[in-house]
Amino acid sequence: MDPKTVHIEFTLNGSPRSLEIPGAASALWVIRNLIGLKGAKEGCGIGECGACTIEVDGKAVNSCLMLAAQLDGADVLTVEGLASEDGLHPLQSSFLEHHGVQCGFCTPGLLMSTHALLKENPHPDHAQVSKAIAGNLCRCTGYRQIFASIEDAVKHNSGEAAQ
Amino acid sequence: MKPEYNVIGKSLPRTGSVDRLRGAPVFAADIQLENPLILKALRSAHDHAEVVAIDVSKALAIEGVVRIFTAADIPGKNLLGIINKDQPLLATDKVRSRSDAVALVAAETESAAHEALAAISVTYNPLPSVTDPFEALKTDAPKIHPKGNLLFSRKIRQGDAEAAFAGCASVIEKTYRTSMIEHNYLEPDAGAGFVDTDGTLVIYASTQNPHYDHKEVVTLLGLGDNQVRIIQAATGGGFGSKLDLNVQGFIGLALFHLKRPVRHVYTREEAYLATAKRHPLTLTVKTGADADGRLKAIKAHIVCDTGAYGSYGIAVASRSAVHVTGPYEIEHVDIESYCVYTNKPFCGAMRGFGAPQVAFAHESQIDLHARDLGMDPLDIRLKNCLRVGSKTGTGQVLTASVGIGECLEAVKPYYREALESGVSAPTHPFRRRGIGLGAMWYGIGNTGVQNPSTAGIEMDPEGHITLFTGCADIGQGSTTVLAQIAAETLGVQPAEIRMVVGDTKYTTNAGATSASRQTYISGNAVKDACQKLGDVLMTEAINRLHSPKDSLVFQDGHVVIKAGPENRPEDRIDFPCLAKRIHAKGVPLFWQGYFDPETIPLDPETGAGSPYATYAFACHLALLEVDTLTGQVTLEKLVAAHDVGQAIHPENVIGQICGGAAMGIGFALMEEFEPQKTVSMKDYHIPTCADVPTVIPIIVESAEPSGPYGAKGVGEPALIPTAPAIINAIARALGERIYHLPANLERVLAASISSGHFGPQEVTHG
Ligand code: FES
Ligand code: FES
Repeated sequence: MDPKTVHIEFTLNGSPRSLEIPGAASALWVIRNLIGLKGAKEGCGIGECGACTIEVDGKAVNSCLMLAAQLDGADVLTVEGLASEDGLHPLQSSFLEHHGVQCGFCTPGLLMSTHALLKENPHPDHAQVSKAIAGNLCRCTGYRQIFASIEDAVKHNSGEAAQ
Repeated sequence: MKPEYNVIGKSLPRTGSVDRLRGAPVFAADIQLENPLILKALRSAHDHAEVVAIDVSKALAIEGVVRIFTAADIPGKNLLGIINKDQPLLATDKVRSRSDAVALVAAETESAAHEALAAISVTYNPLPSVTDPFEALKTDAPKIHPKGNLLFSRKIRQGDAEAAFAGCASVIEKTYRTSMIEHNYLEPDAGAGFVDTDGTLVIYASTQNPHYDHKEVVTLLGLGDNQVRIIQAATGGGFGSKLDLNVQGFIGLALFHLKRPVRHVYTREEAYLATAKRHPLTLTVKTGADADGRLKAIKAHIVCDTGAYGSYGIAVASRSAVHVTGPYEIEHVDIESYCVYTNKPFCGAMRGFGAPQVAFAHESQIDLHARDLGMDPLDIRLKNCLRVGSKTGTGQVLTASVGIGECLEAVKPYYREALESGVSAPTHPFRRRGIGLGAMWYGIGNTGVQNPSTAGIEMDPEGHITLFTGCADIGQGSTTVLAQIAAETLGVQPAEIRMVVGDTKYTTNAGATSASRQTYISGNAVKDACQKLGDVLMTEAINRLHSPKDSLVFQDGHVVIKAGPENRPEDRIDFPCLAKRIHAKGVPLFWQGYFDPETIPLDPETGAGSPYATYAFACHLALLEVDTLTGQVTLEKLVAAHDVGQAIHPENVIGQICGGAAMGIGFALMEEFEPQKTVSMKDYHIPTCADVPTVIPIIVESAEPSGPYGAKGVGEPALIPTAPAIINAIARALGERIYHLPANLERVLAASISSGHFGPQEVTHG
């Protein structure tokens, strides 16, 4: 790891964070290994699978490709930030109800890509959903139940699905 | 009439989904241990070479490097393999492929481990290598294993195929090739471990078979059974590849020597390099049909390239031979299948064990006969398909649950509608539409060998129920399904059953999560355990309720006298009350269940036998469009009808069907693993959501009498008919057939050119 360390401050799932990080570390590495949140997954490490997707300033990004240093000043949301004390986020509930989770390794990434989409567009059509999650590979489901989960969440979305 | 069930047939939320949705640390790479060492394996630099010397001195001098292991450090037996033992954990005298591990580094940090890998100096004496299985079979080929390069052969002979061809109106012989395929589960292989206070080596692993892992690690380290404990971590897909040991042996070895927590997480690149692949098959198939389109004879020669090690290769060769007839009645059979070593990455189990490869052939053949005889592809399948009473190529007479006819009938309306809408009429100068069918059969469980499962059920004196199963849930939902079977048998809700899954300290062997066997085999073992517990509960209830056994049923955690006019409290007794009394008498409240399907091994000379106790069936229909100028294939729709016996959990079944269809699309159109060229996920493309069209799943329930509540299996069948349906649709669109998978852009374009479609065609309007 790069011996040069960098100081960053950002908001993670609503709480301020202040960290010394190796300058060359990826956002995914810092979130998983320094912060210890394991929701974002490493499926490929090179931007091909989407398992590491997080939301940075409202946009879905592959955290394996992003330098952690770039998180400085950003508002970051990971899958751990979706559920509240009252329970699962509506999008998560919809995945549960419509069987959108099989092995679940792709799930956090899919949730974050969808969450970012719904923030921008609360009522996307099938093609818009498809475009938003085309970078999130799933080897288990064949995507049908994932679409069903998302589309049902969209149908019932009165705005809270993007919160 | 269909029986009424309480929880069978209900799609409950899948066990474990909430944790995964929340991003809880449930996967092996997520597990936090106190200051773990990082393990990394050094892989071979050659396809085939003698290992002359391994010098680790430079690597050991690197700061943070704790230890470097070689084969000499393995205290037990350095030979792995579930069917035949031929694969060392760490290379001894030679390497046979670039996947072979030569040394294992344990270091304090990731970067020290990497540095150490580069600093280990291995002296090789390169040997001539062979990568083509046909070359490998020649007498002068380099010998990969001491016994030679032919690992196994399977013959199936019935009747007189040659003589029967002479009387056939249509005889077709073609050679088919499929490619090496990477499973590409989303979670790269991973594990972690520590030494428990009592000295037990505890290993968390992403695995499809924790009890097999246990046996292998124990043997590798020369330890007693209770000195190793394997716990299945959440497993991010497997599809067959996580049946072989990946990191478990390395972790065990490091724990054995270092007694410190360790973790071993493959990068995607290492998962590509080091884990099993799907066997590429080359098969020449000759089939004959009479003038009515009735299949009479088949002759098939199958070569399975297993790479450097056997893994599940023998099972693939055997299953390929049985399944190459397709779901059809054919009287004269002459099949031989060979499993051959080459110096390539080893091939093992992958969803279907050879059945997807041979289905590509048998479904192409039957379409070729249809064309040859001027018949409709659906009609010819209906004419030939297996029925109750049919005899298979191995001479097995099918007695029940043969739903292939129903599957074909189920897709018929979609097929007719597509034909009537003029699906193959050109609507665009450079595009052609096509429709294709693919059918399959699939024997549930291992081929003609015993493959038992066990399960334990326990009721404590307070009446709480715990189910113990060694069955690895790798995302397909077996834990939910087994809970449903237990709940149905004991008349409780699945949520009331505590599940202990895949932990060798507590669970007993359920066999592999493979061969679509867990619902059928482990489901039966669970049912057996529950019935034994149920008997004890009933016996006690007879005494309490003064009513004969056949008047009693389980209901909502009680034993109840059925058909009572009103719900009188004296007609029912709850489980806690029964459990307390049974316990006080010293009668056991823990029961072990067992099931092993009834099979008869295949005769080594004739192949006669009953390799499986039951078969699943399916038919897919593909609608697509081919761009004749670019070779681009656009799928419009897939219809997928599956006979699953009884769907215990219909949404799980649909999940398998749709996931299998997506994998089948990859197999048909895009996936090919090329050793040394396919390095990272940039080099290998699996279907994205944009590649998968609308899939219409149809569940056909032809109940299996020996199945738990009639269930069979669906995991692998889901994938098998997709590629044949797509290839047949392309053939129909172009009038030119592809014999080599995947049908990628180049191959489709070549077919387009040779069929004369490479250019504008007349467009039919209206
Ligand atoms: S891990 Fe980041 S895209 Fe695959
Ligand atoms: S659920 Fe397994 S990869 Fe998507």
